[in-house]
Amino acid sequence: MAGLSISSVTKRFGETEVLKGVTLDVADAEFVSLVGPSGCGKSTLLRIIAGLEDPTSGDIAIDGKAVTGTRAADRNLSMVFQSYALYPHLTVAENIAVPLRMRSLSAVQRLPLIGPFLPGAKEQRSEIATAVQSATEMLEIGPLLDRKPGQLSGGQRQRVALGRALVRDPAAFLLDEPLSNLDAKLRVQTRAEIAQLHRRLKATFIYVTHDQVEAMTMSDRIAVMMGGEILQCDAPSVIYEDPSNIRVAEFIGSPKINILPVELANTEMTLFGRVLGYITEAAQAGIYQLGLRPEALKLTQAAPVVTGTVAHMENLGSEVYAQIALANQTSRVTLRAAPAERRNLRLGAEVGLGFSLKDGLIFDADGKRQRRVEVAVTHEREVA
Amino acid sequence: MAEIDASIAARKPQEVNRQARTAWGLATPALALMFLILLVPVVVAGVLSFTNYSLGNSGFDWVGFKNFDRLFSRSTYEKMFIATFTYVVVVVPISVALGLGAALLVNSLGRIGDVYKTIYFLPVMATLLAMAIVWEFMLHPTIGVINQTFEMSCGTILEVIPFLANGCADGFPLWLGDRDYAIWVLCFIGIWQGFGFNMVLYLAGLTAVHRELYHAAEMDGAKSAWERFRLVTWPALGPTTVFVVTISCIRAFQVFDTVEAFWPQGGGPNKSTYVMMFAIFEKGVQQNLIGIGSAITMLFLVFVMFLTLIQRWLVERKVHYG
Amino acid sequence: MTRDIWKHLILILGAIIVLAPFYMMLSYSFKSPGEIDRGTGGFFGAQEMMVDPRCVKLRDPNRDEIAAAAPQYPGRSDSEIRNAIMAQAEIDCSTRPVVFNYTKAFIEAPLLRYLLNGLIVTASIFFIQVLVALPAAYALAKLKFWGREAVFGLVLFCLLIPVHAIALPLYIMLAKVGLTNTYVALVVPWTISVFGIFLMRQFFMTVPDDLIDAARMDGMTELAIVWRVMLPTAIPALLAFAIFSIVAHWNDYFWPRIVVTGSRDLFTPPLGLREFKGDADGSFFGPMMATATIIVMPLIVAFLVAQRRFIEGITLSGMK
Repeated sequence: MAGLSISSVTKRFGETEVLKGVTLDVADAEFVSLVGPSGCGKSTLLRIIAGLEDPTSGDIAIDGKAVTGTRAADRNLSMVFQSYALYPHLTVAENIAVPLRMRSLSAVQRLPLIGPFLPGAKEQRSEIATAVQSATEMLEIGPLLDRKPGQLSGGQRQRVALGRALVRDPAAFLLDEPLSNLDAKLRVQTRAEIAQLHRRLKATFIYVTHDQVEAMTMSDRIAVMMGGEILQCDAPSVIYEDPSNIRVAEFIGSPKINILPVELANTEMTLFGRVLGYITEAAQAGIYQLGLRPEALKLTQAAPVVTGTVAHMENLGSEVYAQIALANQTSRVTLRAAPAERRNLRLGAEVGLGFSLKDGLIFDADGKRQRRVEVAVTHEREVA
Repeated sequence: MAEIDASIAARKPQEVNRQARTAWGLATPALALMFLILLVPVVVAGVLSFTNYSLGNSGFDWVGFKNFDRLFSRSTYEKMFIATFTYVVVVVPISVALGLGAALLVNSLGRIGDVYKTIYFLPVMATLLAMAIVWEFMLHPTIGVINQTFEMSCGTILEVIPFLANGCADGFPLWLGDRDYAIWVLCFIGIWQGFGFNMVLYLAGLTAVHRELYHAAEMDGAKSAWERFRLVTWPALGPTTVFVVTISCIRAFQVFDTVEAFWPQGGGPNKSTYVMMFAIFEKGVQQNLIGIGSAITMLFLVFVMFLTLIQRWLVERKVHYG
Repeated sequence: MTRDIWKHLILILGAIIVLAPFYMMLSYSFKSPGEIDRGTGGFFGAQEMMVDPRCVKLRDPNRDEIAAAAPQYPGRSDSEIRNAIMAQAEIDCSTRPVVFNYTKAFIEAPLLRYLLNGLIVTASIFFIQVLVALPAAYALAKLKFWGREAVFGLVLFCLLIPVHAIALPLYIMLAKVGLTNTYVALVVPWTISVFGIFLMRQFFMTVPDDLIDAARMDGMTELAIVWRVMLPTAIPALLAFAIFSIVAHWNDYFWPRIVVTGSRDLFTPPLGLREFKGDADGSFFGPMMATATIIVMPLIVAFLVAQRRFIEGITLSGMK
């Protein structure tokens, strides 16, 4: 097992620049997710790490050794593919054994018929069999060993693909959207299993997904990628609570974070012409964006900050999401409420919303997080 | 409620009947022709193969297995079998292998490869009889381009090749007129004409190979092109290969145009190219020996059906990747 | 990159062998007999004026013609007049080899007739094949009826029988009803394309039932559904099948060779070419190659224009 380092990797396909200088260090035994919308370059980055594609510039190092230019087969990495890429003509056991056969048996030893009788082949073959055995036990696919991939369900194929990856001891595991072809229920289950597998193997995992839930639930760190760049790479809780960029804040979190325009003039911060508070430190005046997670908004009757009508409701049982069309504004905000509050949230009902500015995230007009703008909450003044 | 149910139940069979009548109506022309044109002739050939029937004769005699006996005892028919099987055994593997090789090369070259695809496919489209006549000109012993080209090598370093040395000394082969060469020339033209077809089938098969499988093979440590071919390409082309081999076999069994064009009488020097289709034509149609022609027909059908059944069995045995 | 060069070298070598006969065919069709004999003249030949010996021979004047021409040549002896006429004939009869070859191709044999026959035969075969196969394929794919499995089984069985293989009994049957040497004989054995039924059935299986039910709701009869709903949806498959069928029957030699014996009026292009070869002497290589070129060209040109469709059509049989 080993760490991985990616430094200023760029990739161009003709005119289009898919990766614009990506730098990322992955520690040994770490689980890092690359998450982002489709086309953000995450799969390309993974394939560059794997060696299936060459970077236009930049370097990859595995365990401190530069591997740029080394071909995939020589990088000692395992990969699980989105389509699983199982060899359709081989049984499950044979599929799992392929990486070992390719690496430990010589071309002559692999020959059918005469191969098994060559010196040394027998021991190696039994070693392979043992390794396959232990991989299948770990994944509980023992009963499937003699089947062909065509006879397996999606979930079973996925396990076989995992088995093929972990049968040998690679420097790192690369997983390319391995759950995207599974149904929702199986995805939740397999998610937990992959996370457990990671803890058990104590191996380096690089996991590509477009699904933020997968990234949030499994990773040690999440690298949010957009437009060929890593916007932020941090622990899931940091990414959610303390995003450094409005695009990260908008991508992570469901329902999406509410963004409201606020204005800073002198020392006053105003929203729709209403003073929200006073800043304590000097900051540049201008338009800012205030991000509020749906759970930061509270229903309130006394002195609401904004008012609006309920435009749409989604009751998920354990919680309720309501879209509120703001009075005199074109925008809507999403509110997360407890089921108990449902009776206040009829469609078309007028509601008042309040929030604590402590829960708000302030971004500048370009979407950069402004951590230095601290606001003294001053509802009292307003009331006065 | 019960009344409605009853009426539905009553209408259902009627509806089904009506559909069945239409269906039979639609299928009848095809069925009738299938019987008349495909099945009846097989029966007719089967029956006639036990007779000494000739067109124009009012009656015929049953001769039992005499026709078949003759097929397996006379040297003419021994030559027929030898010519047919030589042709099949040579043309099928070579044209399949060349088709596969060309497909792999063309496929690996991307868009430029399409030019070769077009070129190699031309003989498939061309009227074989016309091309056979062109080949005959080219193979003409004295004024043909092929021997003229060989003659140019005389007196040059190329004469180290024994074939050229012999040719320069004793004259180059007569090709079509030479009993040692005739069948091989025939095979060559069969391959020339057919391998482009196999190539195109293989190219279609190659597009169906999942790209990620090659990446998986690379990750699994298959470093050489040969290893990736063995691990991914060849197994994936299995169904294509079964089909290509079968169809090449059936086409090879049916070789006729070239034989008739080169040797309108008698099936080549020393009957070395007396293939089955030509024998059917010569015996059955030209010499009006319907009995023996029918017997060859029956044998031919058995070969072809046997091949197709093997193919179907192989294809059905194969479990596909969903 | 060097590996690509090797690939190209191998493929170019193959291409030369593949193209050689096409090159020779075209080249011969341009050259004069002398150039063909000597193997000179490059691809196009020198295109020097050549004298058509048959044409000159036809103009050889007899005694009466010489007498009739005498007033034009006052004071000349008969043999001088004859020589003058012959000299004039040689001038009139000289043409460029390429013109000679291609005009001969059309004059010596009714090549236009052959081409027309080829067109009639291939077109009627395809037309009837579709007429017969489409309704049957629809019934097999979309209608439930007792015996459907049996009918389909029969289709699968008939796929095993190549029509060429049963040519002899078919020939006997046609001879018995006196239909040899007719267009009917050329067309009839091919009217049923089991492969076409199979193919169209597979295609119709993919057409959603809802479409047919919607047509029924609109009050269409089943026959109307076949021609007005299924046929338009099947155009791509039908086009591929058309190419498959037309190529096979334009190029077919075996069957016409059996059923058309006497009359040139029924010759299809390959038969015509064969006939040409049969009675040609060595000096007719040029015109014969011109004929071959004319026969081969329509499909080759169509193929070059619509390559993808053609390859699809020809490899159709691979989709089973």
